[in-house]
Amino acid sequence: MIETPVVPRRADAQEAAVRARTILIIEDEPPIRRAIRNALHEMAERVIEAEAGAEGIDLAAAERPELVVLDLGLPDVAGLDVCIEIRRWANMPIVVLSARAAEQEKVLLLNAGADDYVTKPFSPRELAARVRAQLRRGLAGGPPAAQSLVAGDLVIDLARRSVERAGRPIHLTPLEWDILRTLVAHAGRTLTHQQLFDAVWRRQFGNPQQYLRVYITNLRRKIEADPTRPQLIVTEPGVGYRIDPPR
Amino acid sequence: MRRLRWPTAPRLRAWLLWSAIYVVATVVMRSAREETGDSHVALLYLLIVLGGSAAGGRALGFALACAGFLAIDYFFQLPYDRFSVAKSLDWSALLVFLATSAVTSELVTRALAQAEAARGRADEVARLSHLGSQALNAGRAQDALATLAEVIRATVGGVECEIYATDDGAGAGAPAAQARVAGERHAASDDHALVAWVAHHARAAVVQADGTALRASAPGTDEDAIGLSAPDARTVLVPLQVAGRTVGVLRLADRLRMPLDPARRRFLSALAYYAALGVERVRLVAEAERAEGLREADRLKDLVLASVSHDLRTPLTAIKALAQSSAARGDENARVIEEQVDRLSRFVADILDLSRLKGGVFPVTLEPNTAEDLVGAVTRQVQPLLAGRTLATSVDMSQPVLVGRFDFVQTLRILGNLVENAIRYSPPEAPVELGVTRDGDALVFVVADRGPGIPVPERAHLFEPFYRATNSAPDVGRAGLGLSIARHLADAQGGRLRYEARAGGGSSFILELEALDAPAPEAEEAL
Repeated sequence: MIETPVVPRRADAQEAAVRARTILIIEDEPPIRRAIRNALHEMAERVIEAEAGAEGIDLAAAERPELVVLDLGLPDVAGLDVCIEIRRWANMPIVVLSARAAEQEKVLLLNAGADDYVTKPFSPRELAARVRAQLRRGLAGGPPAAQSLVAGDLVIDLARRSVERAGRPIHLTPLEWDILRTLVAHAGRTLTHQQLFDAVWRRQFGNPQQYLRVYITNLRRKIEADPTRPQLIVTEPGVGYRIDPPR
Repeated sequence: MRRLRWPTAPRLRAWLLWSAIYVVATVVMRSAREETGDSHVALLYLLIVLGGSAAGGRALGFALACAGFLAIDYFFQLPYDRFSVAKSLDWSALLVFLATSAVTSELVTRALAQAEAARGRADEVARLSHLGSQALNAGRAQDALATLAEVIRATVGGVECEIYATDDGAGAGAPAAQARVAGERHAASDDHALVAWVAHHARAAVVQADGTALRASAPGTDEDAIGLSAPDARTVLVPLQVAGRTVGVLRLADRLRMPLDPARRRFLSALAYYAALGVERVRLVAEAERAEGLREADRLKDLVLASVSHDLRTPLTAIKALAQSSAARGDENARVIEEQVDRLSRFVADILDLSRLKGGVFPVTLEPNTAEDLVGAVTRQVQPLLAGRTLATSVDMSQPVLVGRFDFVQTLRILGNLVENAIRYSPPEAPVELGVTRDGDALVFVVADRGPGIPVPERAHLFEPFYRATNSAPDVGRAGLGLSIARHLADAQGGRLRYEARAGGGSSFILELEALDAPAPEAEEAL
């Protein structure tokens, strides 16, 4: 059983903890590229840049960066296609930059394998935080997912299939448990409604799927301290749900 | 069309030929009159009358019958070579001959006239099919209409044919198509009022030789589109109808009077039908082109919005990044720049959204969602704005989850805008409240504050773009689009957003959306 590591409180120590060898930026606008480089240079030994999609794909293949920052408004290839192409042979985190705040687009990207997205105009601080979170996940070894999660007095233990608050067990229905387990296993990552459907209902199509949001709400009533101010299961409007690992 | 006319060239030939045959037959029989009997003579003359009627018509047949009568009396009845009647029996034979001749002649002439009429109809059909093919074959609808006008003018006769397109009797401007005999000047331009009358009343009219107009008192029929007797018509105006709708007017003018006999009326009716189809085709083509143009404009608008959005956000992103790194080095001005960039970004987003909403290019996704999920998302979204203030939420947790059918993202924007407004416009110590209840078929969200409220005269303008309450602070950071966008977003999902003054002071905004019944809870408990 792998416990979520106890995180030092000081932010500097946390930042020092994550440092990649190479980060790739695919962005056609020079000023934005520069802003991204400035925001990320402390997180990597090397920041490499591509100003078009095809070049970005080549660099990703040749340099195998630990993380890719991908702009969607590229002059040659649609950002979505770049994402799909890279995902065919690599699983490093991909953080997407989008000028349009269309939720539909974010859903497409996440379903295509992107790990996170930031909408322009973004703040460099926000981008840095998102990239750092993805790097931490990626460098920690990625797929071997967390087996338990502790948030305040709430303990979720995937191996024992148990949820406890302050030592008192909380009863969940099978569907609620499936949803919670899926979110915990991918903690820190937004799962689209489709990804949750696929994981929980295993591609069985039927009426219950459209009530995913109702099941989530019931689940929150059981595990959140204040269900109208959820701290554990976060709603990404129009996109899906995410559990933020506690810090 | 049957009229007795002075013999024309072919008829004159028939008269000469059959007169010659008559003379030759008389001479031949005269030489052998001792051997032949009366009956042979009569039969031969009858044959000549028959032939003459067929070739030269009723008049020639009658003339030959009379001539035969006289010849029989003079040459072939005793006493010979004298006009005399010896016995009463001979009289009766002569009269029978005359009567037989007349009846035969009449029968032949009638049969011929019927054959003639049949030929005329076949001709009419041929001309109409020619017209139809002209109307259908011409590449452009406008060309087809011009061809129609020319074919109509050429077939019916007349110096000028005009086709007017009218829009449901709304009046007529310049003709949509016209055809005129070369060298002929435009005859009557003062018919416009009459054209408009015909279009409006869907009845025909004629202008007579003396310039007076006759108007039909009843609509025409399929057989007779004119429905009006006018012996002295110089101009005929016929309404053009498709499926009971008047689409235009056909105007046909001549220098001389136009005979409006039944056959011509019938023909004109059929032509009017073709002209109506031609006008309708022009209209449909124009409509299709306009629709295509609108689609193209819509596509361009989307394109412009997307590119404006991209072009505006890219420099804002760069400015924000630079300001932030300057601010990190302790530059106070940079922090102000950053704030203003955020403000400008919101403004740009609002204006783009408003134009999308107004342009009707704003898709909403109506799905089952829960009120609690939405309230949670609102509290998370406005958290950075609260700055120590309180947003009090009220959801009844003892009741089953409240479910509605709405677009989660757009409804989040509505409530986000309302809560943000409430925070901006109300005193810091008073909490802003967000509650949700179910009322019948509606899910009712209420955002309430203890601010100054909206003065009564301004309530009507509250949801207009760029509105800002006169009693609010001069600069509260928004362009005054929030409520307008919220109202549009509520409408777009079939919901309602309204304002109510709050008892005890302040404002409340009430959003109603479609409620759904929650699904039955899962039966089994696990773990």
